[in-house]
Amino acid sequence: MVLGLLIAVGEMLSPGTYVNSQFTWLHLAGSPGTFPNGVSLVVGTLVDPLSALLLLVVTVVGFLVMLYSIGYMHQDRGLPRYYAELSLFLAAMTGLVLSNNLLEFFLFWELVGVCSYFLIGFYYEKPSAASAAKEAFLVTRIGDVLFLLGIFIYFYHFSTVGPSGGWAANGFVFANGTAPYLPVVSGSGSTLLTVAGLMILGGAAGKSAQFPLHVWLPDAMEGPTTVSALIHAATMVAAGVYLLAITSVFIGFTSTDQLAIVAIGGFTAFFAATMAVVHPDIKRVIAYSTISQLGYMVLAVGAGFAMVGLYHLFTHAFFKALLFLAAGSVIHAIGTQDLFKMGGLRKSMRVTSAAFLIGGLALAGIPPFAGFWSKDDILGAVYSQLGSHPLYWPFFLLAFAAVFLTAYYIFRAWFLAFSGDHTRDPTLPHAHEGPWVMQVPLVILSAFAVVAGLFIFLPNFQALLLNGAGATGIPPVYGPTDLALSGISVGLGVAGIGLAYWLWGNGRVYALPEDSPLQSVRKVLLHRYYFKVAYDWVGLRLVYGISRGADFVDRYVIDGTVRGLERVFGSVSNGLRRAQTGAVSDYAGYVIAGLLGVFVLLLIVAPYLLSKMGGG
Amino acid sequence: MDASSFIGPFVPELLLLGAALLIFLLDVLGIRRNETLSTVAVAGTTLALLSVLGDLGFAPLSVFATLPANVIDAAPSTTGLYAFTSLGLIFQGIFLLSALLVSLASASRPSGEKGAPIFYGLLLLATVGMLLVAVATDLIFLLLAIEVTSIATYLLVAYHRREARSLEAAMKFFIIGALSTVLSFYGASLLFGAYGTTNLVAIGHATGAVGYPVLVLLGYGFLVAGLAFKVTLVPFHAWAVDVYDGAPSDVSAFLAGVTKKIGLFAYFLVFLGPVLYLRTVGGSSPFAGGPIDLGGTLTITLAVLAVVTMTVGNLLALLQKEMKRMLAYSSISQAGYMLIGVTIGTAPAITGATMQIFAHVLMKGGAFLVVAGVGALGVGPLIDDWKGLGTRRPLLGAAFALMLLSLAGVPLTVGFVSKFVLFSAAVQAQGYYIWLAVAGLLNSALSVFYYARVLKVMFFDTAPAPSTPPVTDALPAGGLGYGRAIAIGFIAVTIVAVGVYPQPILGAIQSAAQHFVVVGA
Repeated sequence: MVLGLLIAVGEMLSPGTYVNSQFTWLHLAGSPGTFPNGVSLVVGTLVDPLSALLLLVVTVVGFLVMLYSIGYMHQDRGLPRYYAELSLFLAAMTGLVLSNNLLEFFLFWELVGVCSYFLIGFYYEKPSAASAAKEAFLVTRIGDVLFLLGIFIYFYHFSTVGPSGGWAANGFVFANGTAPYLPVVSGSGSTLLTVAGLMILGGAAGKSAQFPLHVWLPDAMEGPTTVSALIHAATMVAAGVYLLAITSVFIGFTSTDQLAIVAIGGFTAFFAATMAVVHPDIKRVIAYSTISQLGYMVLAVGAGFAMVGLYHLFTHAFFKALLFLAAGSVIHAIGTQDLFKMGGLRKSMRVTSAAFLIGGLALAGIPPFAGFWSKDDILGAVYSQLGSHPLYWPFFLLAFAAVFLTAYYIFRAWFLAFSGDHTRDPTLPHAHEGPWVMQVPLVILSAFAVVAGLFIFLPNFQALLLNGAGATGIPPVYGPTDLALSGISVGLGVAGIGLAYWLWGNGRVYALPEDSPLQSVRKVLLHRYYFKVAYDWVGLRLVYGISRGADFVDRYVIDGTVRGLERVFGSVSNGLRRAQTGAVSDYAGYVIAGLLGVFVLLLIVAPYLLSKMGGG
Repeated sequence: MDASSFIGPFVPELLLLGAALLIFLLDVLGIRRNETLSTVAVAGTTLALLSVLGDLGFAPLSVFATLPANVIDAAPSTTGLYAFTSLGLIFQGIFLLSALLVSLASASRPSGEKGAPIFYGLLLLATVGMLLVAVATDLIFLLLAIEVTSIATYLLVAYHRREARSLEAAMKFFIIGALSTVLSFYGASLLFGAYGTTNLVAIGHATGAVGYPVLVLLGYGFLVAGLAFKVTLVPFHAWAVDVYDGAPSDVSAFLAGVTKKIGLFAYFLVFLGPVLYLRTVGGSSPFAGGPIDLGGTLTITLAVLAVVTMTVGNLLALLQKEMKRMLAYSSISQAGYMLIGVTIGTAPAITGATMQIFAHVLMKGGAFLVVAGVGALGVGPLIDDWKGLGTRRPLLGAAFALMLLSLAGVPLTVGFVSKFVLFSAAVQAQGYYIWLAVAGLLNSALSVFYYARVLKVMFFDTAPAPSTPPVTDALPAGGLGYGRAIAIGFIAVTIVAVGVYPQPILGAIQSAAQHFVVVGA
């Protein structure tokens, strides 16, 4: 981990360098016709601006979460398991970030997935945790299959028609020191590449919980809060965005792909934010917020600004981990996640309260906190691309509207938990701050949440982003270039906070009138648009129907065939076995028979077949 | 021709011969300690192996090189008896490695056996014959070299003179072997009759230039059948199971591991090496580019043999209840995979077949060594007798499990790499060859069943208390013996090491195969 940090810092100091070292794991020589350049499966590491940025996040947040865990998890059983799985996760995540080709990337991708599965199900004795782990695993698996198909298509495409120079046929391997960017291949094969890009998008959507594969992330909150902070906010879920970013930088998307990515990202940003508005569970509110923020990142990458997306990923990792750890601190203190039972915690938990407030401000995009800079960059970047396709407009507007919702829901959570005089549920234990190992990470992350956005004004950091993005050929937009845009977004953020204060501030609890037409909306939102129900229904009906049919086929068709085959095989191999008489004269007979067989093949069968095949 | 230029190329063979003679001398002097003899054999094979590796150009070992560099992969003459190709040297290395491991493992044989010197002597002499096969370019030279090996192995099988099973196996081996030799020589005489030469290169050129009358087809047919005995192709395989089963397990390791490979290399030489000439001439058959083409007929014949062999071998392995017979049938089916390489005959295919042979030496040789060790521990011959062995002897169980997984072609083992290379060569060759890959894959899937069954028995079944006596309690701690343990450990480590990072070995084989194809033309 320290090593990873050093690499990241080293990359900071000399931005734009590419270190690519690899060894060939297995090389198949090419032959004319197929794979003219041969096929290499390589294992290697690649340090470039993109991976350095993510490496910094993984190591810093990973370290702080480990520290925090000492305090947060101290009462839990199974600590060795916890730390082992967390360490394995960090190792896999570092490997993922440093991979230099898609196949290797995919291996680590699966590894972080399985760690996530373990850690969500850490409290495996709880049925809800166990089923959440399974759900996360299965839903992301859909994305993984798509991703793998995408890799196959790229592999096929680039090993047959791709440029022979830098490509080793199977991923974003490129010659040392040369510009990595490969332009989108237009004309022949571009349909294929579009499909591949959509497959990659599917994989990213699974990992980064984008619509419609978002259902697993809120349920993943069954795991320990530390895990939520590290894996389900800062690092693993960001891997999907990272995948999109590296694909756009090293391979390139077609314009159809870009539209699809923009649509998914923009819609998810808004869609997830609406669900966060009504949810009573503090962790799930933050989880929906994560989905929504990941949507912003996807949006940015789709619009062609990979580095802007990663910049938001970078700032988001800090303030979202901060929010989760602060929420964890609350849960640690009073043992509930229900916002409506909390209240007045500001007095007893000053550090946590301040940390959550800073995280909230950063999330809401209030300057000068971190979220403002990166989120504003995204909006500005997408705005600059609005001309490229008319369909960008609705998703841009959705993302803009989500700014208001974001500010509202996160401050609703803050007011509910921390403002007021006392807890609403008197049975809760008296709140107190956690030990220093829990407070220190909060303070450090708060500092990051304040200043991470300002990093952009460090020349080295800026150069890092510029170099990474320069590769895409589109200069990114930095800072409030479009002051009006920033003004509107900040205004929306402030309005959201204001609304939250008006409804929930000072211990108020706003109850929607029973006869309000909004009740039905609220109900839909609380049920998460009935997505899970629908999935369950479809899953149940479909799977049940299929299994019915399969059962029938199994019973009558397959079993019958198997029994038949068994009989055939049995008699065949019995015959064969009986041939193994042990009598040497029989064996000699086989040899002679074999000889005659060879002659028949050579002299009669083969010439006949050849004449049929049209050669000879 | 001065003496050194004659001796020089044959240093490995002479080293083995010297070691064999030394062993017989020790026998006469009354020194018959098993460990001593084993040490001599190990030393001889090690030196020979170092020499071969030096010739292959492995930098740190170049001091051991005995061949002038310009001899290796030189343009083949149409008159000589032998030539040194890097592919042949790689095969020599594989043969020597196997002989080395068997000698090492045999250090753990019960001391004081009467025939111990004969065992080691014959082992080394058989290896000499194998080394000669790897450098042959003349049909008669090749067949004689095979005979040198065969005669030594007949005796090895009969090594337990008083055991009826061994004797019977040796007898069968000998009779079928003699029959096959006759077929091979008859085929050779037909070719000689057609072209007036026994040099393989010359024959290949003549086949291309003069054409191939029925006489030649018959000649090649006889050679296919005669050599198929060594390769254990179905239906020339029937002896193999009885022999592997009846012979001492160490000897089975040697037979199943290597001696059948000389048959395959003979296939390379007879059907590929000289013949690639035809490819350059170009054929209009759909198999142009295959092995000695004969208008594609030979390719089809070999393809049929390959598919039949792997399928029948696998089906029979499924039914076996005895461990050694199961391994024997699995060995037969593996020969079918290797034949794919000969059938296709491109450089990638030869690479794949060679890799498969290398892998098989480790996997199957290792498996038989484990069987020998387990037998020495007093476990019965049935697969069911192995119940619970994996938990009682975890290290041995793990090594055996590795070998089986590698045989089944599980990734990160050498068996996966070899199958991957071989089958992708078939896919690369395109056309009808893809069906060979399909057949190979289906068979691999089939074979997983019986390997997995053994794993299940070893690790998940517990031995029923009354029928078999508890295994471990009766066993001394070091019951396996150091030599055998080292050999098995080495094999297990190599299986994983090459599986994880195959490129060094794979690269060497690739360039050798490339040379082999070019030299042939």
